Amino acid sequence: MTKTISFILNGDEISCDIQDHWTLLHLLREELGLIGTKEGCGNGECGACTVIVDQLAVNSCLYLAADIQGKQVQTIEGLAVHTGSLHPIQQSFVDNGGIQCGFCTPGMIMSAKALLDKDPEADQEAVKHALAGNICRCTGYVQILDSVAAAGRQMAGKKTDKAAGYGDPGPVTRQPGDQTAGEVTP
Amino acid sequence: MKPFTYLTPTTVEEAVTLFGQHKETARYMAGGTDVIVKVKEGWMAPDYLINLKQIPGLDDLHKNGATGELTIGALVTHAMLEQSLLIRSEYPIIYDAVSNIGSLQVRNMGTIGGNLINAVPSADGAIPLIALDGAALLKGPEGERSVMVKDLFVQPYETVLTPGEILTKITIPAQAPRSGSAYIKFGRRAAMELPLIGIGVLLVVDEDLATCTRARICLGVAGPTPLRAQKAEQLLKGQPVTPDLLTEAGKLAADESQVRDSVRGQAWHRKEMIRVQVRRMGLRCLDIINQKARQV
Amino acid sequence: MKDYTVVGQRVPKLDAAQKAMGRAEYIQDVRLPGMLYGKILYSSHAHAKITAMDISRALALPGVHAVLTGKDIPSKMRMGFYKDNPPLKAAKVCCFRDEIAAVAAVSEEVAKKAVRLIEVEYEPLPAVFDPEAAMEKDAPLVHEAHKSNVLKLPWKLHYGDVDAAEKASAFVVEDRFTTTWVTHCCLSTSGAVALFDASDNLTVYSNTQIPSLAQKDFQETLGAMGLKGKRVRVIKPVIGGGFGSKLDTYAYEHIAILLAHKCRKPVKILFDRKEEFEATSTRQPTVIYIRQGCDEEGHLTFRDIRMVLDNGGRTSWGATTPSVMMMPITSLYRVPNVRYDAKCVYTNNTYAQAMRGYGNPQATFAIESCMDMLAQKAGIDPVTFRRINRNEPGDETPQGFKITSCGLGQCIDAVEKELTADSPLADGEGIGYASLIHVGGGARIYKSDGCGAILKMDDFGKVDIFTGGTDMGQGLDNMIAQIVAEELGLLAEDINVVHSDTDVCPWDVGAHASRSTFVAGNAALGAAKKARQTLLAFAATLFETAPEDLVMKNRMVWVKNDPEKSMPVDKLLRKAHFSPGGTMLMADYFYDPPNENMGKDFRCNLSVTYSFGVHGVRVHVDRETGKVQVKNYVAAHDVGRAINPMLLEGQVYGGVIMGLGYALSEEVMIKDGQIKNPNFRDYKLFTAKDAVPITAPVIETDDPDGPFGAKGIGEPGCVPTAPAVANAICNAVGVRIKDLPITPEKVLAAIQAQSKGS
Repeated sequence: MTKTISFILNGDEISCDIQDHWTLLHLLREELGLIGTKEGCGNGECGACTVIVDQLAVNSCLYLAADIQGKQVQTIEGLAVHTGSLHPIQQSFVDNGGIQCGFCTPGMIMSAKALLDKDPEADQEAVKHALAGNICRCTGYVQILDSVAAAGRQMAGKKTDKAAGYGDPGPVTRQPGDQTAGEVTP
Repeated sequence: MKPFTYLTPTTVEEAVTLFGQHKETARYMAGGTDVIVKVKEGWMAPDYLINLKQIPGLDDLHKNGATGELTIGALVTHAMLEQSLLIRSEYPIIYDAVSNIGSLQVRNMGTIGGNLINAVPSADGAIPLIALDGAALLKGPEGERSVMVKDLFVQPYETVLTPGEILTKITIPAQAPRSGSAYIKFGRRAAMELPLIGIGVLLVVDEDLATCTRARICLGVAGPTPLRAQKAEQLLKGQPVTPDLLTEAGKLAADESQVRDSVRGQAWHRKEMIRVQVRRMGLRCLDIINQKARQV
Repeated sequence: MKDYTVVGQRVPKLDAAQKAMGRAEYIQDVRLPGMLYGKILYSSHAHAKITAMDISRALALPGVHAVLTGKDIPSKMRMGFYKDNPPLKAAKVCCFRDEIAAVAAVSEEVAKKAVRLIEVEYEPLPAVFDPEAAMEKDAPLVHEAHKSNVLKLPWKLHYGDVDAAEKASAFVVEDRFTTTWVTHCCLSTSGAVALFDASDNLTVYSNTQIPSLAQKDFQETLGAMGLKGKRVRVIKPVIGGGFGSKLDTYAYEHIAILLAHKCRKPVKILFDRKEEFEATSTRQPTVIYIRQGCDEEGHLTFRDIRMVLDNGGRTSWGATTPSVMMMPITSLYRVPNVRYDAKCVYTNNTYAQAMRGYGNPQATFAIESCMDMLAQKAGIDPVTFRRINRNEPGDETPQGFKITSCGLGQCIDAVEKELTADSPLADGEGIGYASLIHVGGGARIYKSDGCGAILKMDDFGKVDIFTGGTDMGQGLDNMIAQIVAEELGLLAEDINVVHSDTDVCPWDVGAHASRSTFVAGNAALGAAKKARQTLLAFAATLFETAPEDLVMKNRMVWVKNDPEKSMPVDKLLRKAHFSPGGTMLMADYFYDPPNENMGKDFRCNLSVTYSFGVHGVRVHVDRETGKVQVKNYVAAHDVGRAINPMLLEGQVYGGVIMGLGYALSEEVMIKDGQIKNPNFRDYKLFTAKDAVPITAPVIETDDPDGPFGAKGIGEPGCVPTAPAVANAICNAVGVRIKDLPITPEKVLAAIQAQSKGS
């Protein structure tokens, strides 16, 4: 059945026709052309399709489009728009190596945002708990957790401090005779 | 996904009436985390999905100060339970169980009622509610009735609900003083798991902080439905709870269970886990009881 | 010159911002006007004759444009190096994964519906699922015409005299190890879009790691279709994970081509997650029999390995993984006498492909587990035992590998230092070590191991570099940009790396063998050097000095002893362009490393350099549940030089977690040929909550042949993980698990058997 729904998408009021059986993911990607939200499994088991509905991270592949009537929806496309620059979480993922193939990234960032919006000082266990539904095959999560922690510090208004990362890069050892021996790569 | 018509009633009565109009071509839906997957996979092909999320009051979560009774509306999400300070402090077994269901995304959508009605042997949500002697309130074409959560399940994917009945809330009687409860989901990884085995234990002890006056040992994935290991419970009752006694109870519970081999785990190992985890959860219950006693 | 400005910097991945904004376009996002959607019908049996197929109901469904079956496949069209796999199977099926029909329709929904309307009748045949059983005389034949289930492949070598060495050994251990199916689980599922222009030239959008070899495969397909001489263009959208999965061409790509030609419209085939599990390839499962010995002092005397590999019903690159397994078998540690014999055996299971490490993780699991067993027997502690036998620069291994840079010893030191700095071991805790060798400078598995690069500079001091290499998330774009920027005195942001289109990018053998930084990097460096020379020659004329006296740095060129004489690079370029007889700066380079093809006896110097590493892990084993918890992980790698330490660490962290999944949790469960867990619910990838603390010491040995001294690091991170974990478990609770993954069930069963035994 077709019906018309109204909702707020990334800050803009939207009104559109939908079919009852459409998922929010389908509406976003196939009808509205917002390709930033990804489908990794279609069953709520990978988190690539994560968007924020009324402050809560949800799997848009399981969320019916009909259910967003009157609600606020945030997708990855909504993060950088208004300031023209990247959102601190996006910037932190860029700066800290939180992105490799990038397919999990939009969902991962949305999960992180839902968490940090509520609690920018979330500790590592809380971050892991909140991100557990977002599968990443490339990074081993280390730099993702670093990225979220750094973004949280920034969002909490604290100075970003690189030292307290989760992954420890370890010392760089150079061959004797190498002129830069003893230096640690910045 | 096969097309369907999405109906959104605003009262339970309206929902029941809609179901009456469409009968077996209709299905109720709460959070949708199970239903939508089933429709996508073609395991379920309703022409009508009746959305219960717009019915006010079904997501009520409160404790009655006078009676001590806890009410959990069927549409309360796992995340609401997980984030409730009341649940975390007074009903740790519920917290343990719901905080590791699926992902946060799923917990933000999925409801406790849906978890029960889905009736899979691995439903984390059922175990604590059984341990806490929870009762489910059902409303349907024939009126209202109450069923103990432990009696809700018939077999995998089947409950005692008759066509058109809706689970509206779960009530949990006042907690006895000196009670402790704990749940563990045993899986291969730390999150996103269906349990290989789920073990919930509730203990109430006498004023001596040792003699067991009530015991509940509830097992998930240990049979076609969530079950209570009643012989093991009997063993504990009236006895001072010691690690040795809990070990014995674990053995009995393992023997009582009807575990099977599956893709997710082997029966012998599941039995071992029941044996070990009944003891560990029992000890955790004692810790909780002792901690509370010190605070008083 | 070790005073680098861009090399060695943690420059964020060039496409990271685009990806962070959700603007990167993957195969899912490719949508062309008039595009149709293809769906594939797979076999319902592990082994059966197809006796009848009726496609009439599917064809009659409104919206269906074409239905293809095995009968529509040109007879010469066969996929894979063993040519035993037509894109659609006509007469019989050899595994559940066999594609038997395909549909193109106006939407995915209609295509799915049409596939369900195809009626197939089968006559089931006796099937075989165990490779060792499949070698028996009376086993059912998977391919009757092949006459045997054992593939005719030459995987057999013997260097020195193993039997004599064994007799002379003071200590010998032997055992059997097994590894099962695991799979890549790229977050983006597979897909392709094919379209023909009016002259029958073909364009394929595909998630491939081998654009040039895919182009060749598709050329062959066109040839079989009677379209010889037509052009093929391969366009790679942003790739959502590779790990070896995209190293061969798959049936879906060839089917998309056939459908597109039949319908005269673009056709897109996109896998869902279940299909991704069921119809793409796995890592090669193995049965490994190993014997290994040492003398009184702990020097390895011989290594003798026999393997049986489950080839599955068809053949892809998995059957060639023994060629890479030879590397650790002959060359990990100094071992003078080596024998190896591997048989790939057809069964009615799924079949394997390349997966990160290309056989190395399986072989290293057996070798390194066995190293600890041998050390124990010889009464030497595992770290000392490894130190005694470590490879050194200047070694030539029995297979003829010439070791140049080698930091294995330093890696051992670094890992031991990090791991033993922790608090003392608690009850149930243990530490385990394992090392690795891997090709570090490519590997000549094809006629050419080369890569081309074309570089041009514009009037604004910016560079476009067109590389044959492929970025699938691992960071090749940064490697190229940082190498080129370093050479041309520019910043990484000045370099635009184009790697997406065979119409504009030169040839490359593919993103495999951890070769991209080394080979594509050296190609880019070669082009940059040529450009630098040209530019400096021009500047030298301008400044009336010799090119050697010029410095090119920070987007400027100046005279070394007269810094007043300087000019920004962009101005210099404009001067060159707009002067009479002007010129634009362009350069190209093709780099093919001096790697050798394997000879008849497999002796060669496969790679101009080799990467080394040591992993160490501290685990806790719950004796009552069998659950293993990783407490601390240290992975030290000799990488030559870290072009970008941040991305390098990303490769190591990602590799380690993938390796831990291989060790502990991941398993494609196959029963009677059928996959039982084709989803992320039951295929247990580590989640963020399972992430473990990892330290990644980087050992820089400044490789003489690598670009700025760099060697490959793509695969090593997941190579020695499983044996390190197995060794740590054994150290913790005294049980040796020889079968992957190491599940709580296996650990607990072993602990219980041990306590019954004692």
